[in-house]
Amino acid sequence: MLLPFFEWLDTLRVGDWISTSSYAAPLINVAHILALVMVFGSLLIVDLRLLGRGMTQQPVAKVARAARPWLIGALICMLLTGIPQVLSLPIREYYSPFFWMKMRLLLFTLIFTFTVRHKVTMADEARVGPVWGKVVGLVSIALWAWIAVEGRLIGLLS
Amino acid sequence: MSLRNLFEWVDAFPSSIAMRESLYAFPVLLTIHLISLATFAGLVMMMDLRLLGVAYRGTPFSEVQGRLFPWQMAAMVVTSLAGLLLLYAQPMRYFGKVLYWIKMALLVLAGVNVLLFHFITYRTIDKWDITNPPVAAKVAGGLSVALWACIVAFGRLTAYDWWTYE
Repeated sequence: MLLPFFEWLDTLRVGDWISTSSYAAPLINVAHILALVMVFGSLLIVDLRLLGRGMTQQPVAKVARAARPWLIGALICMLLTGIPQVLSLPIREYYSPFFWMKMRLLLFTLIFTFTVRHKVTMADEARVGPVWGKVVGLVSIALWAWIAVEGRLIGLLS
Repeated sequence: MSLRNLFEWVDAFPSSIAMRESLYAFPVLLTIHLISLATFAGLVMMMDLRLLGVAYRGTPFSEVQGRLFPWQMAAMVVTSLAGLLLLYAQPMRYFGKVLYWIKMALLVLAGVNVLLFHFITYRTIDKWDITNPPVAAKVAGGLSVALWACIVAFGRLTAYDWWTYE
């Protein structure tokens, strides 16, 4: 269904400057990975705290509030370095099962992160109880790691 | 035995050849390397942001450092093991890569930066634990961010044949 869209993306040739340059694609990919490092750091510092590990002397909400601008900034960098990579090879992405799995997971995980996870991190810890925090922390780590794995496999196996 | 001999010696090991010829070893190891390095470097970056005085300012530095340390170390062990296995499987692929050797040199520098910070700047931690860190601490934090970013970047760039010799 989306094939015409990806074929259209291919005809736009926006990505041509990336695919014709021998430096653009590697450097954009490096920036994407550096942003991933920041995403992981700003997620894990909060998810570890949710699991009752890491900075346990600080309230969850305080850690989450401090990490939030870094998470959002890093996610924006991911997007800005991810979109050109799709534009440079739209047909390869279209036929990659890893790309579609990553996009589905990403949509679900972004919604989860900014609704459920946000609510649990900001809630009164005494009222939410420790179990929900642990579940949300584990789910968050699993989902984001899975997204990174799918992303790595697009390049390796597509 | 020269370094080249050592790499060639490992290159001829049956287990090294088997890993090199395996369809799965490279993608599996590389994926493990990536996830654990993002965990390690991500938590190091969070600590460095506190050291630079730009994030987590409401938490004492000693707490950010001490509480994240075991997780940083665990992730570092995993990423190092996966990295060593990647090298073990294709020693001659990396031997001729200038970027690989720069990455190794930067790893040493990052280690020196940690030791200098620990044995010099950190000794006065009581004076700045809850306030804005001194210039020496900020320099260590800035160097750490720059060094680890370059290490990650050069690692990724070894996938290309830039500056590669026989």
